[in-house]
This record gives sequence, C-alpha cells and structure tokens, in this order.
Amino acid sequence: MLTTQARRLCRWLLAAATSLPALTLAASCPGADPEALQWLDRMSRSSHQTAYHGVVTLQRGEDMQVMQISHSVNGDNSSEQLTKLTGQGAQIVRESHPLDCVHTGHRLLQLGSNLGAGECGVAEYYRFEVSKGERIAGRQAVRILVEPLDMYRYGYLMELDSETGLLLKSSTLGRGDLVLERFQFADLSYGSPMPSSADVEVVHEASHPLPDSAMSTADVSGAWAVGWLPRGFVVTDSRSESNGRRTYTDGLAAFSVFLEPLSREIRSGEGIAREGSTLSYTRGLSLDGQPVLVTVIGEVPVNTARMVADSVRWTQ
Amino acid sequence: MSDRMRESLSALMDGEADELELERVLRQIGEDSELRETWVRYHAVQTVHSGQAFPDLTIDISARVRDELNSVPAANQRRWQSLLRPVAGFAVAASVATTVVLGGQQLAGLDPAAAGSESSVAAGVSPVGLVNSLGATSVRASYGTQAPPVLQPATRTAYSELARQRLQRFAQEHAEQAALNTPQGMLPFARVERITE
Repeated sequence: MLTTQARRLCRWLLAAATSLPALTLAASCPGADPEALQWLDRMSRSSHQTAYHGVVTLQRGEDMQVMQISHSVNGDNSSEQLTKLTGQGAQIVRESHPLDCVHTGHRLLQLGSNLGAGECGVAEYYRFEVSKGERIAGRQAVRILVEPLDMYRYGYLMELDSETGLLLKSSTLGRGDLVLERFQFADLSYGSPMPSSADVEVVHEASHPLPDSAMSTADVSGAWAVGWLPRGFVVTDSRSESNGRRTYTDGLAAFSVFLEPLSREIRSGEGIAREGSTLSYTRGLSLDGQPVLVTVIGEVPVNTARMVADSVRWTQ
Repeated sequence: MSDRMRESLSALMDGEADELELERVLRQIGEDSELRETWVRYHAVQTVHSGQAFPDLTIDISARVRDELNSVPAANQRRWQSLLRPVAGFAVAASVATTVVLGGQQLAGLDPAAAGSESSVAAGVSPVGLVNSLGATSVRASYGTQAPPVLQPATRTAYSELARQRLQRFAQEHAEQAALNTPQGMLPFARVERITE
C-alpha cells in the first residue's frame, strides 16, 4: 500500500521534471571527460541500488561526527538508515523507497545512453579529472577532482569504490581549495545491514516529499518565484508553488530558498551564518511594499545565495 | 541569569541598549531559558500596557496572550503567566521568535529619512561589508540594481543572529531535499545540528 503510494507519488513528482534543461539541450562540451561522467552515473546508481552498511565520519572544521549508515534493497524497494553515534542520539530512516524513483539531482547525473549521444550534463558547469585514488575503508578508490567552471558552486574531491562506484569519500572545496567539509567511510561492507545497538533518542522518518507533509514553513499567500539561478540548477520538486520553500540542485550541490512574510517593516539588511560547507544567508527586504525575510540555506558560496535572494519576486 | 544580563535586557526593553548589550543578549538568549522566559514576560507586560500589537515577525504569540488577557481580570496575572510558559517551553521555536522580535526591535522603527540617506550612500560608494572568504571568488555580486546594503554594526549583529536562527529552523527541511538530490545519500541529515521528529 505504502509502496504503491510512494511509486505513484514518485511518478507525479518526476512528471514535471521530464524536461530538464540538461537533458533536452544537446549542448556541445568539448572539454567534457566521458570517463568522469560515466563514473558519476555509476556513483549515483550504486548509492540507490546497492546494499551496504558502514561507519562514516563527517568533519567540519574542528568538529568530527561519526555515524552508521546502512542501505538495503528488498525487491523493488530500498530502505536506508543513518544513526548518529556522536552528539545527538538521532536516527533517520527512509523505508520503501522505490528503486525506479530517481530524483532530480540523481537524474542529472544518470545520463546513461544520452552520454553516448554527446550529452554533457554536469560537465557544462564542472571540469573533471579522473585519477587513481588511495585505499578508503579497505577499498581501492578512483579519484575524481571536480572543479567548478563558474563562481556559483564549490569544488569537490570525490573518491569512488573502483568496483561498485559507491562514493567512499568526498571533500567540499572552497576558494583556494580550502576544505569546508569532508565525509568518508571508515568501515564499509556490502550486503545486508548489520544490527545496530546505538542508543537512539530521536527517530526521524525521512520524507519522500509528500504533498501535505508537515513542512515547517507556513503557506505563503501569493505566488513567488526566484528570478535568477546559476546555470544548471533546477527545482527539485514541483509541488512547492504555494509553499514557503523552493529547493534547487545541479546534481552535486543543493540549496533551498525560504520566504517568510513579516508583519511589519524591518530595517533592510543581510546576515550570514556558516557550518562547514552549509551557508545560511538571510536578507530582509521589501517586495512591493510587503516586508519579507528571504533565507537561502545550502552548500553554495555566499554570492550565489545573495544573488538568488536578490532575485525573489512576487509573481501575482 | 546574571544581574548584568538582567540590566542589558531591561535596557533593551527601554530602547536604551547599546550594541554591546544587544550582542550580549542575542548571544545568550538561545541558550538561557530563564532569560528567554523573562524576556517574553517583560515584553508581554510592556505590550499590554502600551496597547501595541505584539511584533509577530514569525510566530504570533500575541493574539493568544491578548485574548486571554481580555477574558481574565487584569489582576489575575498568574494565569497568563502560566500561559506564557508553554510558549517559552518550545525552546527552539521560542528562541527563534524571541530573536526575531529582539532583532526586529533593532531593525524596526527606522526613520525613513535616515533610510534614504543610508541607501543613497550605499549606491554611491563601492559596497563593502560581507566578503566571500570561502566561496569561489571574493567579488561582491548582486543580482538586479539594488546595491547590497551597508549595515550599521547593530543591524549586522541582529542579521547574523537571524541567519543563525534561520539555519537552526530550516536545516532539516533543506536536508530532506538534499538527501534525495545530492550524491551523498542520507549524509545531509548529519549536517543538521538537532534532528527533530
């Protein structure tokens, strides 16, 4: 029942995403490295279709978090779990995710046969360099250096399992190749998940974005739109028309825009807060006389956030 | 809550707080539940006495308080104080509301003439302020014609606090989307400081 629902929902969600610009524009990209694009395609598929479990570390500045991740496949569905072993005892679970449900971000990476047809996908916005990687969690890795071609996104250093394509390690690189965040498997096994004995306080069921899910943002009366996006970023779900949130992805990075109407004027201005690679940029401004707070949260540089926030407009 | 904090708080309530005091209160208010409750109490009293609408920038707790006050004799303060407690009890939500309103007090009530002069300065001078030290470039970009605002220090402090509070409030909602649309699977949830159900 749940599965049928999830499948139907997935179809609905993706219906509007069938005409993604990256798939319809047969742009020419002489610099594209087909080998790198093939690895990204494999990476994206393996994260969803392979059964694995292990221990992952996430390093952001001085802070290091350790967590267990498990991903299992049962028939046409996958389920996954993340259990924080440090800090807050939280567990995030997602059950019955249909294998054929490929969300926008992954769709941008899974070029498949389009690759042969000269499609370049994310190679329009990033330059890739593939080399032999080191051993990570006991597995031989392939290293892909990902450099942004414009100033609106970060770079990455990714290491993929040379047999399965699974992403084993990923560093987010800011200006001057400064590492903003690094995640990596410390231990990895393929196959059915291990039982977890971690002490859990909070269990959060990750949403498969449901139509009326309890989003924290109130409905915003009046439609609004983001007037400018960096090249290659597309909306992740088409259901957020009347919602206070919009999320965009280019396949590697994502950011969300939140709009909150205010009940009275505030002094216009902007502020930022950062945690590792995550930026929160808040802008107070007046849109056609209505004071609003626009907040951009995501793994993008501050200029991207500022320009996106600056371009928010009412559409009615 | 220290006496010093209490003084800062009342200075803030009277509109006499200097920047340092504002900063001190903003820094503490997320962590200090007593400070938060005191602030809500002070503010409710002041609001009721002055007959102003509660500046509900995000979460309107004013209507509930005012309605209750209208239906209860004014002397009976216990009851409405207890009403405020559940509000303060939602630690995160309350601190968001409190900070938005606190920040809002600093950000609101702007003299339009001053606003005009501020923006004309901003338009005439090459904008300085936020520098993108971590991004791909240090160029200060802006979409459209508006020059990025040049902020007074107190305003900047209030906005930094707003950005921090928005991050706490929206991080999980962003992670839900990032977990489905970026290569690292569920990892985006690990970036959320406190997961809620």
